[in-house]
Amino acid sequence: MSEVKKYDICIIGGGITGTALGYFLCKLGKTSVAIFEKSYLSSGSTGRCAGGIRQQWSTRPNVRLAMRSVKLFERFKEDVGMDIEYKQGGYLVLSYSEEEAEQFEKNVKMQREEGLNVEILTPKQVSERYPYINTEGLVMATFCQTDGHANPHKAVIGYAQAIRRMGGQIYTHTEVKNIDVANGKVIGIDTTAGYFACDIVVNASGPWSNEVSKLVGVDLMTESYRHQILVTEPLENFFPMMAISFSGNFYMRQTLHGQFIMGQGDKDEKPGLNFNVTYKFEKELANKMVKIFPFLKHVRIIRHWSGMYNMSPDAQPIIGASEKVKGYYYAVGYSGHGFMVAPAVGEALAELIVFGKTLHTDISYLDIKRFEGQVLEREKNVV
Amino acid sequence: MVRHVKALVVGSGPAGLTGAIAIAESVGDGKDVVIIDEGIEPGGQLPKQTHKFFGHEGFYASVRGFEIGNLLVKKVKSLGVEIIQQATVTGIYEDVITVYDRVNNIVNEYLADYLLIATGATEKFLAFKNNTLPGVYGAGAVQTLMNQYKVLPGQSFLIVGAGNIGLIVAYQLVQAGAEVKAIVEASSRVGGYAVHANKVKRLGIPILLRHTILEAIGKDKVRGAVVAEIDERFKPIPGTEKEFVVDAICLAVGLQPNVELVAQTGAKLVYIPELGGYVPLRDENMRTTVHNVFVAGDLAGIEEATTAMIEGYIAGYNIAQELTGKSFKEKIEKMKKELEEFRRGPFSKKVRDGLKKMGIVFPEGGYMEEQQIDKGPLGKLRAVIECPQAIPCNPCETSCPTGAINVGGNINGIPQIDYTKCIGCGVCVMKCPGLAIFMIQEKDEYSLVGIPYELLPIPSNGTKVKLLDREGKDVADGEVDHVALNNKGKTHIVFLKVPKGFEDVVRSFRILAKSEEFICRCEEITKEDIERVIDMGITDYEELRRVLRIGMGPCGGKTCRTLTLQILSEKTGRPVSEIELGAYRPPTMPTPFEAVVKSVLTENSEVSENIPGGVKDE
Repeated sequence: MSEVKKYDICIIGGGITGTALGYFLCKLGKTSVAIFEKSYLSSGSTGRCAGGIRQQWSTRPNVRLAMRSVKLFERFKEDVGMDIEYKQGGYLVLSYSEEEAEQFEKNVKMQREEGLNVEILTPKQVSERYPYINTEGLVMATFCQTDGHANPHKAVIGYAQAIRRMGGQIYTHTEVKNIDVANGKVIGIDTTAGYFACDIVVNASGPWSNEVSKLVGVDLMTESYRHQILVTEPLENFFPMMAISFSGNFYMRQTLHGQFIMGQGDKDEKPGLNFNVTYKFEKELANKMVKIFPFLKHVRIIRHWSGMYNMSPDAQPIIGASEKVKGYYYAVGYSGHGFMVAPAVGEALAELIVFGKTLHTDISYLDIKRFEGQVLEREKNVV
Repeated sequence: MVRHVKALVVGSGPAGLTGAIAIAESVGDGKDVVIIDEGIEPGGQLPKQTHKFFGHEGFYASVRGFEIGNLLVKKVKSLGVEIIQQATVTGIYEDVITVYDRVNNIVNEYLADYLLIATGATEKFLAFKNNTLPGVYGAGAVQTLMNQYKVLPGQSFLIVGAGNIGLIVAYQLVQAGAEVKAIVEASSRVGGYAVHANKVKRLGIPILLRHTILEAIGKDKVRGAVVAEIDERFKPIPGTEKEFVVDAICLAVGLQPNVELVAQTGAKLVYIPELGGYVPLRDENMRTTVHNVFVAGDLAGIEEATTAMIEGYIAGYNIAQELTGKSFKEKIEKMKKELEEFRRGPFSKKVRDGLKKMGIVFPEGGYMEEQQIDKGPLGKLRAVIECPQAIPCNPCETSCPTGAINVGGNINGIPQIDYTKCIGCGVCVMKCPGLAIFMIQEKDEYSLVGIPYELLPIPSNGTKVKLLDREGKDVADGEVDHVALNNKGKTHIVFLKVPKGFEDVVRSFRILAKSEEFICRCEEITKEDIERVIDMGITDYEELRRVLRIGMGPCGGKTCRTLTLQILSEKTGRPVSEIELGAYRPPTMPTPFEAVVKSVLTENSEVSENIPGGVKDE
């Protein structure tokens, strides 16, 4: 019988979280790493997301995590070796409610304390700056120039290429069937490509996070919800920022290629994996967006798809090491904003695995322990 | 304060520079000579000339114009001659010569014992509708922008005039990456050298004889041009109008001597159309009717750079003779002999006729006119010369290491090659300023044709190309066998594999443009693009789609999906049936927001529970 293949660390999920983690582990010298992806790279949430990179969050730790991520995105091309169309075109956050606007004032104060340069704009200032936006009903807006966007799929490919160069392994079209636990400790995984021994398993499976976690009997309290998104034909580039509204329930940006990519949330969506699309979404979004962005009226929609938000109870990610099963880590429940924090999370989690503690960013507040009988501070800035 | 110099040279083109060299060398001190020049750098038109010059090696034949300029300027400076740039001689008054120094914004006064005026020529313009639109340029301006300031003034050109300047600019524009749609020429034949014309024709640029420009199209800038055929009286023939979509029109319709200054000296002007119009009357020593005023170069009669240099020397030695009282007769006679040799050919007929009207006689003829018919022994790697006109040029002869090429007793002779001596080294191909020498070798399965090549990128071995004939027409498919690089002279030889029987047909090639191989037409993605990404290890259709944007255009992948799957199959060895097809996403045709908004108004926006729509694409 041939010898059992062994990796120190097996990562489940070939999206942005798994590949970022794999990249930082390899950079720290841990090259005995393998990523297992049941389909193709970025086939889950990453390849379906809009690619926004935002630092304007309502809680202080999230702002810090996002700011670290932006530092790493700024260096992505040099560090990782791939042009991911990263552009710091800013995030224009539009508020259509007095209550939310009040909260924004507080958020901006906190964000500025963290060293983030955020502007507060009146509706008049918004229409002066962006004459193509109809500001009817707008209460206020905030703008942060160093926010931006990038091409998520290229980021995954960039990380994956770097992992391969450094000696890590990536298995695509390979599904993890079981996680082998003995004496309360991870010892291997069983996959469609055979059995692999390992010391550590990291769950970075996005939409499938709780199903995967059930393999080791740990409930991560996550649920996946469908979110739909559409893209238009390309126009000349004139819209550098991501425009987003929580109270207005939409987001939109123009890609480097010129297309407008946009989406909204749906309160009626039921939990569960569903990759279908509805025309209802197109109608609702079209109606709303044409009012706010009248130039869209004659622009044509060319593609519409859906992806999953892997939601946690407080709309913040769940990241850490399991106390119940030794060697089992998870980085899940991103609630729709996994791409933008992935570099900082990948770095922090790699440090946690290699050194037992984080060096650059504190992510202890994201541990699942926060749900044990505490009052949760829900992240409000989510579409 | 008035500055007094022994010799003042106006203009630092080839004539002014050689004149200054002759004076400074002979007088033994360069500080007695000052050159005043309008340009930002010395050399006149030379810095704008990127092509190799004709002539013989004594006058820098086969050296590129800007390099000749550098050599002459270096020589002038080493002799201690001062060149004052960005300064214009604004008047030759009774009392002083005024020089407007544009750098310091001051008019300086000069006195000179001798004046050598070498102010060259100005371009003629052409009257046609909308000729003031931005985008209408003289050829000199195009060359200045493109070759001196490194700015390409347009992407797509129409050139008016098929003299040497029009032909050369067309070639330089292609080298710089622009497109030349056509060259129109009012006369019934090409005025420039046949070798220059052949160079542009085989690039596929049509030369429309008996055509002229009628109109520039555009409101704020040139967006096109209307040309038409003309009759014997140069009148446009109705119904023959053609439109070209261009963003620049380049006029190369001739030059006229720049006589303003020489006229102010009191020198007599005469009207001689063969020399370009009004020219200063002068003797064979280049002296005008004013004793201490000499002229040289295009001012003395429109010609070309080599003769300008020779005239500069003749004028310079004559000035030196008078300044020093010594005789430089021997040097002067040698230069006159050179001029005589250069001017024997058919292209100098106009100049000879013009000078005759001044009483200066140059002999003609005395060179080999016969074209070689023998193309050499089959199977041997050898040079084939296609230089059909008697032009004053001989670098092929002087560069041949075995002495196989001979232009005869006079430099205007048509070269003949002795195939018993040709060793197929290709040196002449790289040297020929007219790019008129090719290499040929017949092989068993195919033949090799070597093409002189001065464009970028230099194709790599194995590159698939379209083979073109002398008119730039596609005649067959071929590939690059190998490239003989010439890093010094920059004329490389691209050896093409051509089908048997095409040795005498193929004289150019075209690297297949991307547009000919698009797989995804919406996003303009080629097979090569797809293969490159597959080679990176990206072997899923959905991944290819996201990296390359293939199938992400308005058509939604209607034509490219299957083609891409086939390429994936070829590259990975997996059958198409085993490759994941990827998702089909709505809408299947681009749908305006407006149309979607309207449907909200007329339809129930509830999601139907009955239609099992949607595609599983996980």
